[in-house]
Amino acid sequence: MATFRHHRVTPWLLLAPQLAVVAIFFFWPAAQAMLQAFYVEDPFGLGRTFVAFENFARVLASAEYYRALGITVTFSVAVALGAMALALLLAVLADRVIKGAGAYKTLLVWPYAVAPAVAGVLWGFMLDPELGLVSAGLGALGIDWNHRLNGGQAMVLVVMASIWKQMSYNFVFFLAGLQAIPRSLLEAAAIDGAGPWRRFWTITFPLLSPTAFFLLVMNSVYAFFETFGTIDATTAGGPGGATRTLVYKVFEDGFIGYDLGASAAQSVLLMGLVGLLTLLQFRYLERKVQY
Amino acid sequence: MATLRLSALRKTYPNGFTALHGADLEIADGELIVVVGPSGCGKSTLLRMLAGLESISDGELVIDDRRVNELEPAQRDVAMVFQNYALYPHMSVADNMGYALKNRRVPKAERRRKVEETARLIGLEDLLDRRPKQLSGGQRQRVAMGRAIVREPRVFLFDEPLSNLDAKLRVQMRLEIRRLQKRLGVTAVYVTHDQVEAMTLADRLVVMNGGRIEQVGTPMHLYERPASRFVAGFIGSPAMNVLDARLEGDSLTLPCGTRLASPVPSPGEAKTVCLGIRPEHLSVVPEGDAIDGDLSVRVELVEPLGADTLVHARLEGQDDPVVARVDGIRAVAEGDSLALRPDAGRLHLFDPETGQRLDPLEPECQHSTFPA
Repeated sequence: MATFRHHRVTPWLLLAPQLAVVAIFFFWPAAQAMLQAFYVEDPFGLGRTFVAFENFARVLASAEYYRALGITVTFSVAVALGAMALALLLAVLADRVIKGAGAYKTLLVWPYAVAPAVAGVLWGFMLDPELGLVSAGLGALGIDWNHRLNGGQAMVLVVMASIWKQMSYNFVFFLAGLQAIPRSLLEAAAIDGAGPWRRFWTITFPLLSPTAFFLLVMNSVYAFFETFGTIDATTAGGPGGATRTLVYKVFEDGFIGYDLGASAAQSVLLMGLVGLLTLLQFRYLERKVQY
Repeated sequence: MATLRLSALRKTYPNGFTALHGADLEIADGELIVVVGPSGCGKSTLLRMLAGLESISDGELVIDDRRVNELEPAQRDVAMVFQNYALYPHMSVADNMGYALKNRRVPKAERRRKVEETARLIGLEDLLDRRPKQLSGGQRQRVAMGRAIVREPRVFLFDEPLSNLDAKLRVQMRLEIRRLQKRLGVTAVYVTHDQVEAMTLADRLVVMNGGRIEQVGTPMHLYERPASRFVAGFIGSPAMNVLDARLEGDSLTLPCGTRLASPVPSPGEAKTVCLGIRPEHLSVVPEGDAIDGDLSVRVELVEPLGADTLVHARLEGQDDPVVARVDGIRAVAEGDSLALRPDAGRLHLFDPETGQRLDPLEPECQHSTFPA
């Protein structure tokens, strides 16, 4: 035992680099944001005044904030469900492939390596009202696509781009989950008289539920925070704020509107919201997760 | 309750590997057939083809006069017990057992009644609310059995169901499977690599090797008249001794010079044969009492098993030691020289090239059917 006691400092030393990274890049900025939320600051950072909860009151009294909240909910639900459903479908299909399975899987994982902004530009190009191939095709079908003018279409665009980006991540987890299900279970179910559809919903899907739950948490966080780049590169929150999600509004108010206090208050609220959401998911959904 | 007919059933995988080279077998109603053989002999493939989990490449599978080659597993009305039990981990014992009934849209009340009835039959009534994770190996095995029984299928298929249990439980479950199968009267096909399990369970045994059926018959028939060297070596423990010998007229000569009367006279010229003698058909004779035809050996190893003792001995001119099973604890020590006397009526002769038995099998024994 004595030998172990001598090494009390060593574990901390070994952890130090990671702790330093977390402290400098996570805790410090988070603390700064918290602090800033209670001040009104001039755009150049020359002076600031303590205003207590005035920033929060202003944010919570603004109709724009609630509109952004509504947009965020729509966007997040669409992205999380869409990305998970499509990834599950692809994973089920890829799980059946025998020949060239490696190539399929690699191709399906690739989009994850594409930067959010690049993904946004890519989708923006395909659906560009003047130049886009897809929008030209849609035009031929009688659909007038212009996400620069049509808020609904702009939302569809950012949702699609965000889903495309996140799908690969979900795909990897679903595929691993599927491959962890023993074949004999599905064979037993087949002998027990369940067709492919029933087998999927009564055996495969419940057994994937721990994976699905984990992905739901990850996808919610993704939709709330990490879609900024995609939105910025495609619609920049427009037209007329139709795709301005909470995280985009934080950026707009802070770095375009130079209202640093309100921006900080919003990011604190957002942080609280995601924390609450995750907590709810853990409390109510995890119980229903099978075995 | 059903009869099964397998005609030239064949399985060839897309990569060209043939796992089953045409199996022919008729299974009577209520019969318990045990398919036994070493790993890779095609026995599991055969079972999976019966279940519909593997497609049939060629030949015909008939259940109750109906060709089922193309039917899905669900439509064949067979139940299977898997080696790893394949219990649904997210369902309770009751739901596991009721799953097939639910799929068949059996009303809830009836489903419940049937599950409870079956649970009582196999002693699971207190565990119906548990999840598989909360059960011991033996209990899981029971649930797997219950899941098969509750459906009242036409055929039970067992894929090495006892191989994950400890030795004691295995013996107990073996008896229980036999008891339940006879009580329910359901035709059953049971795959195992354990020859003791095979011998004790089977109405008829099917011995497989290299994707082919070597012999079909009652356990005692296979023990007494193995059709090939392979069956002779596989059925019975310890395995049959196989000695090189020369057959000339009606006498056999061993390389050590010992001469024995041949059970199969050969009118032609002298030929090499394999002589099979089971360890239990060799008795120890004190050296002074040895007569013509006794094997003079030198004891290499003695294994006392309690009820009987295995004597491993070296016979001149043979590569492998000869094993004799003798009663109780005999005063035999390593290094002793003694004589082993073969039971003259229980010698087996095999062709050294084909491995086939030399004396013709009686026709009625080749396809002995279970008495209805």
